[in-house]
Amino acid sequence: MQPVATTFFFYFLSAVTVISGIAVITRRNPVHSALALIVALLGQAGLYLMLYAPFVAGVQIILYAGGIMVLFLFVIMLVNIERAQKEEQFNKQWIVGIVAALALGVLFVLVYMKGKGLFPQTVAQLPEGENTQGIAMLLYRDYMFAFEIASLLLLVAIIGAVVMAKKRI
Amino acid sequence: MRSPASTMSYLELLKLALPEVIVVISALVVLAIGLTGRQRTAVAGVSSAKPPTKAAGTAAAATDWCSLAAALGVGIAIAAVLMLPRNASLFSGMLVITPLTSLFKIICLVLAFFTVCLARSEKSLRHPGEYLTIILLATVGLMLLVGSEELLMIFIGLELLGLSLYVMAAFDKTDVRSAEAGLKYFLFGSTSSAFTLFGISLIYGMSGSTGLAAISEKLVAAPAQPLLATGIIMTLIGFAFKIAAAPFHLWAPDAYQGAPIPSAAFIASGSKVASFVVLGKIVLVGFGPVHGSSAWHAMAAGWSPILAALAALSILIGNLVALAQTNVRRLLAYSAVAHAGYTLLGLVAGGRDGFSATLFYATVYAITLVGAFGVVAVVRSETGGDDVKNFSGLAARAPLLAGCMAIFMFSLAGIPPLAGFFGKFYLFSAALRAGGDHGLLWLVGLALFGSFVSLYYYLIVLKAIFVDQPSASAPPRDHVSSDLLQRRAVAALAGIVLLLGIMPDILAARILAAMS
Repeated sequence: MQPVATTFFFYFLSAVTVISGIAVITRRNPVHSALALIVALLGQAGLYLMLYAPFVAGVQIILYAGGIMVLFLFVIMLVNIERAQKEEQFNKQWIVGIVAALALGVLFVLVYMKGKGLFPQTVAQLPEGENTQGIAMLLYRDYMFAFEIASLLLLVAIIGAVVMAKKRI
Repeated sequence: MRSPASTMSYLELLKLALPEVIVVISALVVLAIGLTGRQRTAVAGVSSAKPPTKAAGTAAAATDWCSLAAALGVGIAIAAVLMLPRNASLFSGMLVITPLTSLFKIICLVLAFFTVCLARSEKSLRHPGEYLTIILLATVGLMLLVGSEELLMIFIGLELLGLSLYVMAAFDKTDVRSAEAGLKYFLFGSTSSAFTLFGISLIYGMSGSTGLAAISEKLVAAPAQPLLATGIIMTLIGFAFKIAAAPFHLWAPDAYQGAPIPSAAFIASGSKVASFVVLGKIVLVGFGPVHGSSAWHAMAAGWSPILAALAALSILIGNLVALAQTNVRRLLAYSAVAHAGYTLLGLVAGGRDGFSATLFYATVYAITLVGAFGVVAVVRSETGGDDVKNFSGLAARAPLLAGCMAIFMFSLAGIPPLAGFFGKFYLFSAALRAGGDHGLLWLVGLALFGSFVSLYYYLIVLKAIFVDQPSASAPPRDHVSSDLLQRRAVAALAGIVLLLGIMPDILAARILAAMS
């Protein structure tokens, strides 16, 4: 299937992501920030879809925009927002921040201008329909062992979080 | 889909990963025992608030059962490693079984066993079940690191190990220092593993593979380019952190001093051995074609000058800063930095000789350090501190422990009849032979200088133990508190260090043979 108006949708979704990303860090009300973050994540999911990665897009919406953001909102509602709103939102390290941002920006421009040969130029050929199946094959056959070990990693994280965070158990 | 080897049965995977599976199962069993023990004590504490001794008794019994299950699991896993086939490879290198990986899986399991022994005697830990579970899961991480030749698996192993160690370092919630140790270790560790992951991704982007052998094939053809250098340096950062090499060592003093003693011992021993095994595999197998040269008359770009610089810095900083320490655990931490420097010499030298010297030294060092931490644990439980002055007069109070500590300290300093001497001897001779025309002489000279300096601060500890009189202000408490198991474990470790000193070939020859 030939996509329609690719360029338009790319810039549209990018603009949505960037604008809501800026909103995340500039809103004073944390609930607004969280809602803006959801919009940013949805915009990203749209970009993934444009790259023929429906699985990643679905995971992005279900896990990040759905699950994790709901958790964020719960936490925000549990903490004391009134006090948090009165506090100064930016710390005093903005000079360091600007210098770091400038350095990164210069690096980015340099790599863009001079680094043509730095990365391989070949464009990946993406199969259109079998994306999700391909991921399943990789995850449950070729990389099954790593996948299982990752579950141990989660077990350690759960035990550690309970032991560290609970006041008395 | 990619290769016929990847269409294998799950049964075969279970067979080849049996040691890991056994350790995981024993971890779950320990967790369950700890949970039931807790519930019983909680019920006993609520229903009859009067006899707390009984509740404490059941808690101690739960601790005993947990330790027993953990030790048993480790023992069975060692037996399972012995029953593995000699050579096998699964999932294009994710799980590799060679004589070398089997040998080092056993070494890691033995170190875990002694850590469990130390943990059983540690009274301040409130959740022994969870603690031992995390030790066992960290051991799984060690075994995966040792037995993998695939960068993705290596990274997951590193994370499994790292995450467990962060929790272990911060486990003592009654102690602020433990929290500090955990937090510092976590912040440094997560940052450095982010660097490593980025480095790995760059290398994957260049070579199109995460298998070490495939990467090496690609690198032979590829010319040296800035992207490759960035990838290699970033990958090495995570390992330099794990082995506490010099610019990345800042977490070590606080972690060694603040963490519960079994955690500190495990961080210093098992984690280091496995990291050296996997670092050696990555640089010698994966990055083999871009070795470079660090000989003073023929410097050439590659990973070897990077490691040489790390080694030189570690030897200098570690030894010089250790001179100023008054706390034995901090002193051990800085000496650990120096020892990481010595151990890197073997990798800089490269080749079979160098790698086997590195592995021998890392193993000997790990055994010595677990023992030294065992002595520190006893002294701490008797006198309530681990400064050098707490050790004064130990020889009169506990001659056996004092003798063991003397063996450990002399071995660390590299005095001839002990294992540490042969470790250093192998390392330095491998470095002298490599690099053509004594090219690594500058590094060996620096290491010898460092060893002489280190003798001074090890002797300060021994002077406190054997010469100084205990100060009257801090009378020793009754030394019933340190139990028999701990003393036996320390004595066994001292025995191993002595044995490896008298007959270093039982391990060194085995490592060499396993490598061919």
